[in-house]
Amino acid sequence: MADLDFSAHRQAVHLTDEDIARHKRFVGLEAADLPRIAAVRPIVMERVDELTTMFFDFLRGLDVATPLFRRGDLLDEAKRMKREHLIAMVGGVYDRAYVELQLELGLLYSKVGLDTRVFPGAFYHLMNTVGAIVMANAGDDPQKAFQNFMAVKKIGFLDIGLMIDIMAAEREQTISIQQEAIRELSTPVLQIRDGLLILPIIGTLDSFRAKQLTDSLLRAIRANRAKMVVMDITGVAAVDSRVANHLIQTVAASRLMGATVIVTGLSGDVAQALVSLGVDLGTLNTVGDLQGGLELAERRLGYRIARQADSSLETA
Amino acid sequence: MGIPILKLGHVLIASIQDALTDNDLIQLRDDLSSQVGWSRATGVIIDVSALDVMDSFATRTLRGIADITKLRGAKTVIVGIQPDVAFAMIQLGLDLDGVTTGLDLDEGLAAIGRGDRGDAGHG
Amino acid sequence: MPVMGDDGITVTIANESDIVTARQMGRALSEQVGFQGSDLTIIATAISEIARNIVTYAQRGEIVLRPVTANSRRGVVVVARDDGPGIPDIARAMQDGYSTGKTLGLGLPGARRLMDEFEIQSEVGVGTIVTMRKWLRR
Repeated sequence: MADLDFSAHRQAVHLTDEDIARHKRFVGLEAADLPRIAAVRPIVMERVDELTTMFFDFLRGLDVATPLFRRGDLLDEAKRMKREHLIAMVGGVYDRAYVELQLELGLLYSKVGLDTRVFPGAFYHLMNTVGAIVMANAGDDPQKAFQNFMAVKKIGFLDIGLMIDIMAAEREQTISIQQEAIRELSTPVLQIRDGLLILPIIGTLDSFRAKQLTDSLLRAIRANRAKMVVMDITGVAAVDSRVANHLIQTVAASRLMGATVIVTGLSGDVAQALVSLGVDLGTLNTVGDLQGGLELAERRLGYRIARQADSSLETA
Repeated sequence: MGIPILKLGHVLIASIQDALTDNDLIQLRDDLSSQVGWSRATGVIIDVSALDVMDSFATRTLRGIADITKLRGAKTVIVGIQPDVAFAMIQLGLDLDGVTTGLDLDEGLAAIGRGDRGDAGHG
Repeated sequence: MPVMGDDGITVTIANESDIVTARQMGRALSEQVGFQGSDLTIIATAISEIARNIVTYAQRGEIVLRPVTANSRRGVVVVARDDGPGIPDIARAMQDGYSTGKTLGLGLPGARRLMDEFEIQSEVGVGTIVTMRKWLRR
């Protein structure tokens, strides 16, 4: 994943108000929690620097977190944002701005290549410390202090839920960008002579890819003013009736644009299987191998390929 | 709104300029049918490159034109089907088998000059 | 004339020139939703087919075009409604090549192939409602 830079294609991940509301329901955050969180607020605010330092000290102890500590500038930025996040956690407002703050912090971590998996641990450690401080300041009503802390803990779980959503969305985005890149790489349409295109198909041919392949072939036919296309399917993993129908459609669509398609690389086994499945191959122009297909296409276009009797004489 | 039909030597050229209603297409069929007779044309080219959609009606009518002109001694070539339109036609289950197709006007004129049979996709 | 409302765009289908209006509005809406290239033509072609079905069999009806969002996917929904004679045998009408009018008999099954989702409700003497959707690939 690190070898390919998809940042140009990547869109910022955004969570909607709906997503945030859903996560609040998951952790059972309700209006009654807000005064409880407000009660914890002064206790946390008083120690916010201490808690921030502690959070990063915990990270420092982990091998996987070393990349962050090698980047002094980013580390300071991360500390500043973590401090801000701690304040926001007890701030009582958990809206999109709150989520944006987390997103920014997450982006910074991923910039230094920090493994996101270290955070649940660090976060747990942090919540434990907050819990201990709240209970130490409980005074004569530990029951109430505990309730207050539980309200803050909901925010902790809310954060983790949001983080998972963000990570999943990022991962999905990476996968779809990679798939797109692979698809583009795997369906080249090449012009080898005036009016003659060659389309080698490699891999599996599902309906989405068949659609994309047809689309790019039709555009190439127009762009290159092609009259003949040699479509080689030697590299197609499995040719079943569905794949055959995709190919038949591609051929028919090309014909509507005035181009003739010759299919090559259809093995004997595959041909037999298709016939026994009842696939009508009668509409396809087939030639055994790619070379034969190219020769036929060239003849149709009026090319005559002749080998020179002695090429050394010509160049002398 | 009628579709203008130009005569170039022995070839009639109908260039569709815009999205067509069914009546426009039927009008075109009738116009071409009569003009092929008195103009003694040997070929008809219908340029559909401006068509946004070729649905079953349009396809059927164009095929009808090809059949009629053939009976009157002229060969029809349909040119300019756009990639997106060709793709949608195939998905819909339409084809123009038996009708000669070409990329554009030049290809259409060349096909009439060569006397191509109407089957780019066969043999 | 097409009417733009909160509930999407409604195009009255009363004659064959309305078919062109419906598919052009459908293409414009789909483009706004984010569809591109051949998908726009595919949606417009499907609308053309079902609009023609209304003109051929019911003479009069309407097509409603709307953007939709479901499960964080975006798409368009096309609803064709008429109070024509209705379809006595839907299963047969959905077969390729079946037609009682003067068409190729590709209208309904063809439109189904073009779109991602296709539903049809019809009652003889009451009318027909065709609902079809196309989703944007993420």
